[in-house]
Amino acid sequence: MTAAAPEPKENMGQPVSRYDAVVKVTGRATYASDMPLDNPAYAFLVTSAIAKGRIDRFGLDDARGVRGVIEIVTYENAPKLKDSKLFSDGGYAGTTIQPLKSAEISHDGEIIAVVVAESYEAAREAANRVKVSYTATAPSATFDSPGTTAAAAKGQNAQFKEDAKVGDFAKAFDAAEVKLTAAYDTPTQHHNPMELFTTSCAWMGDNLVIYEGSQYVYGLKNGVAEQLGIDADKVRVVNPYVGGGFGSRGSMTPRTAIIAAIARRLNRPIKLVPTRDQGFTITTYRAETRHEIKLGASRDGKLVALRHEGAEISSRADAYCVGGTKTTTRLYACANVDSLVSIVRADRNTPGFMRSPPEVPYLFALESAMDELAVKLNIDPVELRRINDTTNEPIGGKPYTSRALMACFDEAAKAFGWAQRSPQPRSMSDGDWLIGHGCAATCYPTQMAPSAARVRLQRDGRTRVEIAGHEIGTGAYTVIAQTAAERLGVPLEKVAVFMGDSDLPPAPVAGGSNSTASTCSAVMMVCDQIRQRLFKAVMPGQSLTDRAKETVGLGQTPATQAAKSDRPLDLEKAFDALGVGVVEEYGEWKPEGAPLDSFRAMHSGHPRLVGGHQMKDQIAYAFGAEFVEVRVNRFTHEIRCPRLVGAFAAGRIVNPRTARSQLMGGLIWGMSSALLEATEIDERNARYVNDNLADYLLPVNADVSGVEVIMLSEQDDRINPAGVKGLGELANVGTNAAICNAIHHATGQRIRKLPVRLENIEV
Amino acid sequence: MSNTSGSKQSAFDRRAFMAGAAGSALVPLTARAAAAEARAAAPQDPALPVDVTLHVNGKEKRLSIDARTTVLDALRDHLKLTGSKKGCDHGQCGACTVLIGDRRVVSCLTLALAAEGQEITTIEGLATDDHLHPMQQAFIDNDAFQCGYCTPGQIMSAIACVKEGHAGSEADIREYMSGNICRCAAYPNIVAAVKQAAPEIMKG
Repeated sequence: MTAAAPEPKENMGQPVSRYDAVVKVTGRATYASDMPLDNPAYAFLVTSAIAKGRIDRFGLDDARGVRGVIEIVTYENAPKLKDSKLFSDGGYAGTTIQPLKSAEISHDGEIIAVVVAESYEAAREAANRVKVSYTATAPSATFDSPGTTAAAAKGQNAQFKEDAKVGDFAKAFDAAEVKLTAAYDTPTQHHNPMELFTTSCAWMGDNLVIYEGSQYVYGLKNGVAEQLGIDADKVRVVNPYVGGGFGSRGSMTPRTAIIAAIARRLNRPIKLVPTRDQGFTITTYRAETRHEIKLGASRDGKLVALRHEGAEISSRADAYCVGGTKTTTRLYACANVDSLVSIVRADRNTPGFMRSPPEVPYLFALESAMDELAVKLNIDPVELRRINDTTNEPIGGKPYTSRALMACFDEAAKAFGWAQRSPQPRSMSDGDWLIGHGCAATCYPTQMAPSAARVRLQRDGRTRVEIAGHEIGTGAYTVIAQTAAERLGVPLEKVAVFMGDSDLPPAPVAGGSNSTASTCSAVMMVCDQIRQRLFKAVMPGQSLTDRAKETVGLGQTPATQAAKSDRPLDLEKAFDALGVGVVEEYGEWKPEGAPLDSFRAMHSGHPRLVGGHQMKDQIAYAFGAEFVEVRVNRFTHEIRCPRLVGAFAAGRIVNPRTARSQLMGGLIWGMSSALLEATEIDERNARYVNDNLADYLLPVNADVSGVEVIMLSEQDDRINPAGVKGLGELANVGTNAAICNAIHHATGQRIRKLPVRLENIEV
Repeated sequence: MSNTSGSKQSAFDRRAFMAGAAGSALVPLTARAAAAEARAAAPQDPALPVDVTLHVNGKEKRLSIDARTTVLDALRDHLKLTGSKKGCDHGQCGACTVLIGDRRVVSCLTLALAAEGQEITTIEGLATDDHLHPMQQAFIDNDAFQCGYCTPGQIMSAIACVKEGHAGSEADIREYMSGNICRCAAYPNIVAAVKQAAPEIMKG
């Protein structure tokens, strides 16, 4: 076993290499903009140079003079599109700001014209020649900008249902022996997946094919159909491979329906490849947040009062928020809890989910505050977590289905060598470098959504799995193939998986870390339907349900138990008995507690995610602990992070190889969220300044060394049939706090605002 | 296509352009000059197609394209070689990396006309007869990718990194592979892959 393919522990599958490995290393994996089109025209976007105001007029003569220009579409001649509601209000869209609808401008970088030409080069040149006269008014950029408006999230965002509270916070905080009040800030960040936000649209008669990197092909299909006013069955979204998502491709952006409508008007396929900088404003982003944490504790470290207030930026049009207090108020035992989330509206594009949307900013605040409290109490930060560990969340008193938080802390502490740490700040150094060790907890809700699948088995064992899931780099093809192979008892090499196509049976959005849990549960169920048919043929006299249960497990049985009791099925014999060449089954699976309309919603592109704290009698989270070493140069203040160690427990690990890679990438994301990433805003113009990959700092290879991922064995039979908690968004939570805690340990300086750059260090 | 326009007033005179671009020196000036001599001056309007012959993965490809077409767009949009990826179009991410001769080059910042007469190797040109290139196999063995979008560029860059003699230590590999961004952050696995493949590639 190599480092990349760790030895599986109990309740882990085999670390087989990726199903899509060969196509990805040979350049044959076809992403959306790689799809061949018949005689395409090329589109190039023109985006607004002001954030607020209106367009007075376009000067298009120069642009029209460029050889090869076919059409320039502005609000004055744009195809009419229907509005789509925000996804959180039951729609599909990531923003309700619909460009090309009027002369009004709602944010900087809004799409104001689409130039279509015979070549990419001509479209780009003509777009650069479009002249626009505006009447601009002063925009409100962010917190503290004049003209912003703030209000509680509750009541304006349908998905934010409650400000969690329990007990009497004010009284308990007042009486607490030790008190901490601290404010924390997190910056604007952009997903920046490597694949640009491309869209190709081709009509065949009344039928539309869209090639676009999407984390939710059913949402996009239904959303575009709604905007175009056509039957959703006439729209097909295809993307067998997606060049990274991180949340940016989860909801529909305005570009797709516009391009589709122009392609229909011109009766020609259109390929749009927006620029990297346009990607900063034509999709969503992680909004900047502000927090105030109040912790009250007894001298022996028991939390008696906790209050978390968070504020988030959103657009004028939409009340998007992540509302991470749902997690931070439930992580530790505390009898008196209060919280409040508010939304501050500015002249910005609408933000959206970005990898671990609520937890990254909100746990930065809580896990920094926990470290500050530990210092105040002179208690080891790991021990402070142990003192406040709990089996039941404090708000509703519901039990965690499983909770390995302290086991993760202990494993990671051991691997890191935490015991060798000298607790005093500024007490460790190496030449010019001050050394700091810090840690933090991570957690992420276990979520599931209804999913369908179709499985076809042939007598020679060849298996075909069809599911409109998404390969965004998570290993979705691989874990689905492994699940089908295991469940049907066929060799892995015989399983073919088809995904990324809205003509396949619906799968949920690849977001909220629900994909493996949902799609594998559906595939297991459908494989069981096939097995039942085969068993029925081979053993007609037996009680089918009992027999099937005994041999393979039915319905809600977790995969491991099934594997243990599994017995190879003689396929040839079964097929002979059935008298058919192929057995094919389709099935629809939904998690416990899913609403009544789940399956209808699934087909119309609305994922009904359940889980986390919203389960009826229990609460389900994955947990982890992260330890980091930072080195701060005492003269230059350069900050390096040579070691990141994380231990995680996330239920069944279907493939330790793909899981480790995702957790490793997550740890690096976490480091990046603390030390590198921030979208800088020109507050005068409400404009993103560093909107390119040189100025928006992302980690490169030289920024990363010494990353260690530890996966704990965990079995949880109370979450879903696959026993999977999901780990795509687990490892990049808490890292930002761990790094600031380590910087405090190195320098004695507490940093409460991200990102931390060398100019912020005052050694 | 049309080779008739030879206006001295052209804002985009081909000879002047070639001479001016020589400073970026991706290829020997002589080869470039020879290619330029082989053709009469380009048309005045850059949108009018010009003829260009590219040598890609050992094959000669004749194209008639907009003079502003980059190697990347020529590969992707005109030769249907979509393995090389567009991640920024600014030379900032490395997803479009190809080899021109033995050099790694960001193909988004290289005009197709400037690559004429040079041997271009793309990700599609590495595997032969079902045998993966050692670097491709190493990327699989070490799970050196997730979404896979940066992977063609990483692999091309990694091969050059080894041949340049910059794969002697992990620190060297990290430094010399830092022109290729991987947003999934598979970096430690990429380093392991380069380490694994290096001896075999150096052996030739």
